[in-house]
Amino acid sequence: MVNPILLIAVPLGLGFIIPLLGLIWEKPTRYVPAAAMVFNLAASLLLLPKVLQRPWVVETAGLPPPFSIHLVAGPLGVGLSLLIALVGLLVAIYAIGYVREGPVAKYHSLYLFLLTGATGMVLTADLFNLFVFFEILCISSYALVAYHGDRAGTESSAKYLIQGAIGSSLVLIGIGFVYGLFGTLSMADIARNIDSVSPMKLFLPMAFLITGFGVEAAVLPLNAWLPDAHSSAPSSISAILSGIAIKAGLYAVARVLFTIYGADTIALLVLVIGILTLLVGEMSAFSQNNIKRLLAYSSIGQIGLIVFALGLASALGVQGALFLVVSHALAKSLLFLSVGYMIYRTGSMEISSLYGMGRRMPVSALCFTIGAFSLVGLPPFIGFPAKFTVIMAALERADPLFTALVGVVLVGTVVEGAYFFRIVQGLHFRPPPESATPARADQEEAPVSALVPICLLAALIVAVGVYPSVLTHYLGPAARDLLDKAAYIHHVLGP
Amino acid sequence: MSFLADYVHYIGCFALVLIGLYIVLVKTNLVKVIIGINLIDTGVNLFLVSVGYIRMGTAPIFSEDGAAGKQMVDPVPQALVLTAIVIGVSVVALGLSVAIRLYEHYGTLDLRKIRELKW
Amino acid sequence: MLPTTILIVAFGSAGFVYLAGRVHARVRDTLAVLSSLVLVGLIGLGYGAWREVVYVPDFLGLELVLRLNLLAWFFAITVAAVVSLSTIFSLSYMRRKESANFHYSATLAVEGAMLGTVFAGDLLSFFIFWEIMSWSAYLLISCNRGRALEAGLKYIIMSLVGSCAMLIGLLAMYSGLGVLSIPLVAEGMQAASPGFVLLVLLTFGLGFGIKSAMVPLHTWLPDAHSEAASPFSAVLSGVLIKMGIYGFVLLMYVVVGLKLLLGVGAGWLTFRHILCWLGAITVVVPTFIAVLQSDAKRLLAWSSIGQIGYIILGLSFGTSLAFAGAIFHALNHALCKSLLFLAVGAVEHNTGGVRDLNDLGGLAKRMPVTFACALLAGLGLIGIPLTSGFVPKWLIYRSLIEDGYPFLALAALIGTWGAILYVYKLLHNIFLGQLPEKHREVRRAPLSMRIPILLLGLGILVFGVVPGIPLRAVQDIGHTFGLAQLKVTLWGLGSEAGALNMLNICLAVVIAFAAAFLLLRLGAKGRAVDQEDSYAAGSAVPVGRYHYTVDFYGPLSRMISPYLRDRADEFYYWLAARGREIADLTRKVYTGYAGTYVLYIVSFLAALIFLQLVWHIW
Repeated sequence: MVNPILLIAVPLGLGFIIPLLGLIWEKPTRYVPAAAMVFNLAASLLLLPKVLQRPWVVETAGLPPPFSIHLVAGPLGVGLSLLIALVGLLVAIYAIGYVREGPVAKYHSLYLFLLTGATGMVLTADLFNLFVFFEILCISSYALVAYHGDRAGTESSAKYLIQGAIGSSLVLIGIGFVYGLFGTLSMADIARNIDSVSPMKLFLPMAFLITGFGVEAAVLPLNAWLPDAHSSAPSSISAILSGIAIKAGLYAVARVLFTIYGADTIALLVLVIGILTLLVGEMSAFSQNNIKRLLAYSSIGQIGLIVFALGLASALGVQGALFLVVSHALAKSLLFLSVGYMIYRTGSMEISSLYGMGRRMPVSALCFTIGAFSLVGLPPFIGFPAKFTVIMAALERADPLFTALVGVVLVGTVVEGAYFFRIVQGLHFRPPPESATPARADQEEAPVSALVPICLLAALIVAVGVYPSVLTHYLGPAARDLLDKAAYIHHVLGP
Repeated sequence: MSFLADYVHYIGCFALVLIGLYIVLVKTNLVKVIIGINLIDTGVNLFLVSVGYIRMGTAPIFSEDGAAGKQMVDPVPQALVLTAIVIGVSVVALGLSVAIRLYEHYGTLDLRKIRELKW
Repeated sequence: MLPTTILIVAFGSAGFVYLAGRVHARVRDTLAVLSSLVLVGLIGLGYGAWREVVYVPDFLGLELVLRLNLLAWFFAITVAAVVSLSTIFSLSYMRRKESANFHYSATLAVEGAMLGTVFAGDLLSFFIFWEIMSWSAYLLISCNRGRALEAGLKYIIMSLVGSCAMLIGLLAMYSGLGVLSIPLVAEGMQAASPGFVLLVLLTFGLGFGIKSAMVPLHTWLPDAHSEAASPFSAVLSGVLIKMGIYGFVLLMYVVVGLKLLLGVGAGWLTFRHILCWLGAITVVVPTFIAVLQSDAKRLLAWSSIGQIGYIILGLSFGTSLAFAGAIFHALNHALCKSLLFLAVGAVEHNTGGVRDLNDLGGLAKRMPVTFACALLAGLGLIGIPLTSGFVPKWLIYRSLIEDGYPFLALAALIGTWGAILYVYKLLHNIFLGQLPEKHREVRRAPLSMRIPILLLGLGILVFGVVPGIPLRAVQDIGHTFGLAQLKVTLWGLGSEAGALNMLNICLAVVIAFAAAFLLLRLGAKGRAVDQEDSYAAGSAVPVGRYHYTVDFYGPLSRMISPYLRDRADEFYYWLAARGREIADLTRKVYTGYAGTYVLYIVSFLAALIFLQLVWHIW
C-alpha cells in the first residue's frame, strides 16, 4: 500500500529536482509536474477505498500521536488530495504547451511546490505543520503570480505578498496562543482538551487563526488580493489558484472551526460572512470588462456560497460545501484554461475582444460555455447537484430565516447568471470586433496539449452532473470527517 | 512590578508586532512596508519563543546527569521559530525582489501610485 | 421504457443532427426532419400505454421517474407535432443560414427538454428538464444574433429568477414532506399547513407565471418571440410557453389539488381570485398592446400573452367547463399561433426579411395557400365557428357567465374584440390591399413551408368541426383531477352541461358565409386598379407614401396608447439599472491601495474580538 506521506514527498522531491534537471537539460522539466501528479492521482485513488473504512495515521518520527508531527489520511484529506492531483495534473498538461517564455524550469518547480503545499495542508494533523504547508503554498503562489514579470503581475504579487504576510503572521500568533494554552500542536489533542480552557481565552487564538487562514480562503473583507492575483497571473496559475489554492485556505478555516473548536455557536456568523462574500463577489463581477478579473470575482462569489454552506454546520450542509468545492474547482479551472488561449490569440482580456471566438475556437468556446453553465448551477452540469445540495441543506432547517437567506443566495445566482449568459452570448453570437485578424481556421484553435485537459474537465463536469452519486458516495464520509470531532480524536489518538 | 517583570517579553513582542502593523498600515513606500512585515515577523518569533520560556531555565539538552527536565525551556517553540524565521526571510526576500521589479515598471515604490489594478 | 426511449431519441438526435451538419447539410436536414417525425410517431404509439419508469435510481438519494399519462401525452403530442412542423418549415427558412446546424440541433434539444418536462414523474426531474429547456431556448433565441441577443438575455434572466423561486418551493417541499414523486407529494400536501401551501403556490407560481408570460411577468416574451428565428418563434409561442400552463395544471390540479387551492386565502383575497383577475388583465391589456404593434411578429407575440390570459383564466376558474376550455384553448393556441408565426416567417422569407406591417400588403394573390391558412388561424384566435378556437372560448365564456362572474366574462369579451382588431390588422396589412411595387416579384412560399402551414390549418379546421376528439381527452384529464364529467359527443357537448353541437353551428356558419359571399359577389361594384392609379385632389400621389396600410388604426392608437405603457417592463429595467449602480458602488471597496486591504484584515480581526467581548458569541 502507498504510504500517504509519499503524496507530499514525491512532488516535493521532484520540485527540488526540476531546477537541477533544468541546469542540464531544460526541455524535459515541463513533463515532471504532470508525472508527479499522475503518481499522486494514482496513489490517492488507491488510498481512497482504504481510508474510507478507517483513516490512516502516519507517524513521521516513530512516536505515536500526540507527539511529533503526523499525517492523517482520512476520507476528507485523501479526497481533497485526489482533487488537487486531478486538477493539478490537468493544469500541468495544459502548462506543457502554454508556458513557453521565461524561466520555465522555475515555473514547474514552483508549481509543484504549490501543489505540495496544498496536499500537505489537507493531510497534516499538526497545526504548525499546517502553517508550514500553508506558507509553502502562499510563497510559491506569490512568485507564480509575478511569473511573467509584467506590470500587472508584479503589482498584484506585491499586494498579495503584503496581505499574505500579514495573514500568516496572524496565524503564527494564533498558533503561539494555542501552544501556550495547550502545550501541544496536534489538532486532535487540542480538540480533546478544548473544553478545559475558558471560552474567552479560546476565542482569541481562534480569531487570529480564522483571520489568518481567511486571507488565503478569500472570505469577504480579506479577499482584496484575489481579483488582482487571479487576473494577472498566467492563466494556468489562475486556474490552480482559483481551483485549488483558495480551497486549501478554506480547508484550513474549516478544520480550525469544526474539528478543533467544534464551533456550532458561531455558525451563524460564518453564514452571514458567506452571504456577504457571495453578494459582494457577484456584484463586483457584474459589470467587469476584464474576463479574468470577472472570473476571479466570480470565484469570490462561489467561495461565499461554500462558506455559507459550511456555516449551516449540518452534515448535509458540509457535504454540499464539499460538493461545491469539487464543482467550483473543476468549473473554474475549466473557465480559466479555456479563456487562456483565447486571450493568447486576441492579446486582450477585454470581454468585447473575445466576441466571436465561438467561430475561431469552437471547442474552447463550447467548453467555456459548459463551465459557465455549471457555475450558474444549470443541469445537467455538476454545479446543479452541488447548489441543489446546499440549498437543500439550508431549507432542511424549515426556518423562515433560512428560507429568506436562501432567497438572498439565489439573488447572487441570478446576478452570476446575468454576467455569464452575457459572455456566452458574446462568445458565440456576437460578431468579432473590427480589429480582429481574419480567421485562419486551422491555426486558431488551442493546441492539443490544451484541448485535452479542457475537454476532460468538461467531460467530468457533465458526467458528474448526470450521475452525482459517483461523488456523493465519498462526500458523505468526507463531511463526517470534518464535522465529527469525536471520531477524529478517536482515530488519531486512539480510544 | 511583578506583572511587568512576568510579562515584559510579551509586552515587548506585541509592541514590535504593533509597530510593524503601524508601518504596514501607514507607510506608503513598499520597502518600508516590507520592513514593517519583517518587524511583525520578528515580534511573532519573539512571542513564540517566550511562550516556551521558563525563567532561569536551561537549554533543553540532557548534557549533564541530574539536570531536571522541569528546568528546561520548552524546545518545541524554538523549533517552530527556526522554521518561522526561514519562512519570514524568504517572504521578505521575495518581497524585495518583487519591489525591484515593480520599481522597474512604475519608477516609484509609492503604493498609492501603484494602483492600476482596482475595482 | 417508452418515455425513456422518446427522450433518448430526442436528445440523441440533437447531437447527431449537429454532427451530421458537419458532414453535409442535406444529411442534417433529412435527419432532423426524420427524427422529429419519429418522435411524433413514438409519442402517438404511446397512447394508452400509461406507465411509470425509473430512469435514474439514485440522484442525490432521490429516484428520478418518468411517467406517461393522458395529461402528459396530450401536451407531448402537441409539442412533438408543432416542433416537427417547425423543423420541416426550417428546411427552406434556415437554408444557407450559418447557424443552421445549431438551429436544428438546439430545436431538438428544446423538444427533448419539453418532453422531459411533461413526462417527469417527480418534481426534481421536472425541474431538471425545465432548466435544460430554459437554457437551450436561450441559446436558440440568441443564435438569431442582432437584437435577439438582448431578448435572449432578458428571457434567460427572468427564467432564472423563476427557476430560483421554484427551487425554493421544490426544496421546501422536499424538506417538509420528504418526497418529490408527484403522487406522493400530492398526498402529503393535503395535510400541509396553509402557510406552506401558500409558499409552494407562490414560488412555483412565479416560475410558471414567468414561463407562461402572465402579466406582470410577461416582459421577456414580446422581445424573445419577435427576435427569435421564425420557426423557433412558432415553437416558443406555440408550445414552450404552454409548459408554463402545464406547470400550472400540475401545480393547481395535481400537486396542491383543487380543494386545497380553493381554500387558500380569505374572503375575496383568495389565490384563485387573484389568479383569475391576473388572467383577466393578461387577456385585456396585452391584446390592445398587440393592436398597436407594427411589427408582425411583435404583434403576434403580444397576442400570445393575451391568449395565454384566457388559458390562465380558465385554469384558475377551476370548474370542469372552464378547465376543459383552458386545456382545449392551449391546443388551439398552439395550432393557431404556430401557424401564424410560420406564415409570417414565410412572408419574411419571401420578401427578404420584411416583417414591418407598414411595408407589406396585397400578398394574398402571391401566397394564396399561406393567406388562406393564416386567415383560418386568425379566425381561430378570435374564436369564430368552423375553427378550433370557437369551442374553448365558448366553454370559458359559458362557465364565467353561468357561475356569475360577469366582469371576468366582460374582460374575456373585450379581449376577443381586441383580437378581432389585431387579427384584421395583421391579415389586412400583409395579405390584403395593394401590393407595393417592391414586392411585385414575390413568389409563393416553397413547398416545405406550405406543408406545415397547410397541416396546421387542417388541424384547426378538423378540431373546429369535430371538437369531440380533443374534448374527450381533455375531459378525461379533468376527470382524473376530480372535476365533474362532461357529456362529450363527437360534435361537441351533450345536453346536460348545455348542448353544443358543432355540426349544426358549422352548417349554419357555412351557409351564412356562402350567402354573404354570394350577396357580395353579385352586388359587388369593385374594380381592380393599379397601384399607380392613385389619385388625390387632382394630382397623382407618390407610390408608397400613401399606402393605406401605413399607420393602421392610427386614431385608435393615439387614443389608447397613453394607457398601455408597459409599466412592468419599465419597472424591471429600472430595477436592473439600480442593481447595476449598486454593483458598481460595491466593487469600489477594492480600492487598489494595499494599505486599505491591510486595514480590512486588521479590522476583521478587531471586529471578531469586539463581537466576542460584547456579545460573547462563542
